[in-house]
Amino acid sequence: MNTPPDIIKRDGKRPTESFKREKLHHSVRAACLSVRSPEGEAETIAHKVSDAVISWLETKPEVTSHDLRRKATDILESFHPEAAYLYKHHRLII
Amino acid sequence: MDIISSFAIVAFAALIHASFQLSVSMLTLLSGHAIGAKTSHNRLLRLTCGFLAGVGVMTMLTISFICLMFQKSFGEHAPYIAWAVACGLLLGLGVAVWAFYYRREKGTSLWLPRGLARYLSDRAKVTKLSSEAFGLGLSSVVAELIFIFAPMVIAGLVLIQLEPMWQLLGIALYTVISLLSLLIVYALIGSGHRLSRIQKWREDNKRFLQFASGAGLLVLGFYVYVDQIVTATTLAQGGF
Repeated sequence: MNTPPDIIKRDGKRPTESFKREKLHHSVRAACLSVRSPEGEAETIAHKVSDAVISWLETKPEVTSHDLRRKATDILESFHPEAAYLYKHHRLII
Repeated sequence: MDIISSFAIVAFAALIHASFQLSVSMLTLLSGHAIGAKTSHNRLLRLTCGFLAGVGVMTMLTISFICLMFQKSFGEHAPYIAWAVACGLLLGLGVAVWAFYYRREKGTSLWLPRGLARYLSDRAKVTKLSSEAFGLGLSSVVAELIFIFAPMVIAGLVLIQLEPMWQLLGIALYTVISLLSLLIVYALIGSGHRLSRIQKWREDNKRFLQFASGAGLLVLGFYVYVDQIVTATTLAQGGF
């Protein structure tokens, strides 16, 4: 990926920021760990999801954080449905 | 009112309190962030214990404060008007729980304003010490006060009629029963259950929990109204 696309934050209230692979990697890894996946498996899944999301972003100059999360959830779903469930719903718990 | 009836009402009010979900949601979030950050199991238990202690202490303080205020204002027997207001509160809140306790969206989003929900969620994420978890537990009770106030008021009105020793036991009973749902989640997390399954169960059953909480408030309100107002006034009119 040459230039990372801009991520438009939730509701457009906060300023946009460039896509950061490590941020996505960290959140997917945390979702896998929180459903008690082994650390190695969580790392592998986070790598695969990050790679797939980056290839999806290739042609896009900017995306919303909501779309990014939705796409990451869809990809995570195929590797670990339970982690995907928590990843998708983490803002809808309270 | 005899001791058994009093304790039954206090226990039922506490069960209704236990069915409210804000503290459970916060405990789920707190545990999720802690497990996701590779926190050790002992530290996870310390954090969740701290949260549980915070909720317990704040519940006990609030119910004790309500009892104290009632005792100072009414002595041992509350006037009919106090019972009528408390029953009205229960009935009104019962309908309110049915109408908007959960938001009409996926997940277990509660009635809380989104700004406050985001703040609590962010606080749960950055909580690393048991003392912070304790504070979070305290604030979760305060945040849900609007709904738990009515069962606490009824428990308070019932408890002031008892001897001081029984009052203390009643407060302890209320606190322990109101913590039951949290204790169950705590035990499940502590024994290694997956958070996703706990959260999925909560989401699948949220409408039933909502119905049970609302119905519990209505039943309690109706029972107390009949027991404390209708029966008492009928007996008084009959010259008993």
